[in-house]
Amino acid sequence: MPAKRHAATTTSAATPATTAPLSSGPATLKTNASPAEIAQHVWQQYLATTPQRTMLLDAFMAFLVLVGGLQFLYCVLAGNYPFNAFLSGFSAAVGQFVLTASLRMQTSDSGSDVSKPSSKGKNARFAEESEEGTGISHERAFADYIFGSLILHFFCINFIN
Amino acid sequence: MRWCLALLLFCFLAAVNALSSSGSRLLVVLDDSTEKSLYSTLWSDLEGRGYDLAFESPKSDSLSLFQHGERAYDHLLILPPKSKGLGPNLTPKNILDFLDKDGNIILALSGRASTSSAVSSLLLEVDIHLANDRSAVVVDHFNYDTVSAAEKHDVLLLNRPGPLRSDIKAFFDGEGVIALPRVAPQTLGNTSPLVSPILRAPETAYAYNPKEEMPSADDIEATGSQLSIVSAMQSRSSARFTILGSVEALEDQWFSATVKTVGGKKTPTANREFVKQLTAWTFKETGVLKVNNIEHHLATDGEIAAEDLNPKIYRIKNETFFSIEMSEYDYDKWVPFEVPAGDELQLEFTMLSPFHRLNLQPTGRTETGVIYSTQFVTPDQHGIFSFRVNYKRPFLTNVEEKHEVTVRHFAHDEYPRSWAISGGWVWIAGLWSVIAGFLAFVVVWLYSAPVADKNKKTQ
Repeated sequence: MPAKRHAATTTSAATPATTAPLSSGPATLKTNASPAEIAQHVWQQYLATTPQRTMLLDAFMAFLVLVGGLQFLYCVLAGNYPFNAFLSGFSAAVGQFVLTASLRMQTSDSGSDVSKPSSKGKNARFAEESEEGTGISHERAFADYIFGSLILHFFCINFIN
Repeated sequence: MRWCLALLLFCFLAAVNALSSSGSRLLVVLDDSTEKSLYSTLWSDLEGRGYDLAFESPKSDSLSLFQHGERAYDHLLILPPKSKGLGPNLTPKNILDFLDKDGNIILALSGRASTSSAVSSLLLEVDIHLANDRSAVVVDHFNYDTVSAAEKHDVLLLNRPGPLRSDIKAFFDGEGVIALPRVAPQTLGNTSPLVSPILRAPETAYAYNPKEEMPSADDIEATGSQLSIVSAMQSRSSARFTILGSVEALEDQWFSATVKTVGGKKTPTANREFVKQLTAWTFKETGVLKVNNIEHHLATDGEIAAEDLNPKIYRIKNETFFSIEMSEYDYDKWVPFEVPAGDELQLEFTMLSPFHRLNLQPTGRTETGVIYSTQFVTPDQHGIFSFRVNYKRPFLTNVEEKHEVTVRHFAHDEYPRSWAISGGWVWIAGLWSVIAGFLAFVVVWLYSAPVADKNKKTQ
């Protein structure tokens, strides 16, 4: 796990040897790779380098896209008769997606910050500054996310009547 | 003392509510009093029906149709004057003012003398035209009285008129023939919906001036049934104005005459009955409609509570019930009004234009009225609507009822809930699956958190 996190911090191409025991994907891509191989490579890199929480976020977002898409498809096929129901059901999925995307931006960016301690010794001042200035702590971001989601759910449940 | 006054008041009211539905004061404008005896049967008939007759000469100074700005009489019967015009107190304007104030008028014309221009201009006001030659009389070589007019053919013998149209009640029909001596013909304007002929000349009749030669074919304006012998105008306020072409038909002599049609046998005239019908109609003893009661409410099963009756406000798509009770005056009493076969009493539910126009069906009957009702769903349109019953037919007084109500849209809590509509279940499921997914995500996130924290600490 520590190694994997370390791998996430560095660019994928620059870590051929150090992550060898844990990285399951191919280290490099040939210049004449086929599209399928590229996709396979990207997927392997994603699995290898993404933190677990970010993957969890991605899974949830994929679920939301699925739910929203199904609702929209149903509206196209079956008509929008209780229109408020469609609006609130669909906008709940979309809104939740947007909120989750914001959470992902806030946590996956600082996810790279988290690994900064490796360079703490050299550049402690920079790290401190990034903690206080640009970065929002995971807990704060998550609390905002919960708050925003509850407001969204309250709104949608009311609107669906 | 008090009961004496009450009795007096009662007598007074009784006098006001005489047999006619609109008062009993009848003024007869009669040229000279010796003529009065010619019509004695008519006067006694009218008095027998409860009218207070007053006789005035058109030349009289005391003659006035109004007193203190109100009608001094309820009805007016004008017999043709010998002199020119009707005098300064009976100008066309005065007579029209009398009509505007809901007075009823019978104007008799005569073919004996030429009709004055004052009368002609009065009739023009109501779109009834006299012949250009004002001395013209109607003759018919097929329907004349062989007893009295074997030479001149100017005493018409006509059957009593049936209904004007098949969907109109007949007020002047009956058995027997009417003798109409020396008729001054009228033609009716095409444009006015207020005038209608009561009795038309037969198809073989024509009009000409017996003192002159036969007119050329080009000069004839109207012939046959284009000529009207008795015509009626009913104003928008239902005041009635009847023009009788032959004043002699009112005389005692013709009430009791025996006549003989061409090739027929001798019969007594039906003038007396016809004149009774004519005066009764004009003086509002017949053909008078009354709306006793109007009810509207939400359609419900069973009895309706008094506070739910005639509400001021409805909602769109409400099932609504409307009923109207109508009576008709029949000589001396109110009787239930039956819509003639082929005709319909209609309800309009109107905002600017009718959203519904529905036939009202007779659904009930009281002692003096028929209850017509219908049921409908208020349109999907909110605003100020009115229930309107607009029933205007020839020979019946106008009925125009308008009752305004507000139609509101659905209140916020009157819409069906989403789960009551099966089409919305997918979206409800979608919403709750988003919420359930969110909760599952939060739980997993929180469970995965300590790992990250530990990781952070170890580094």
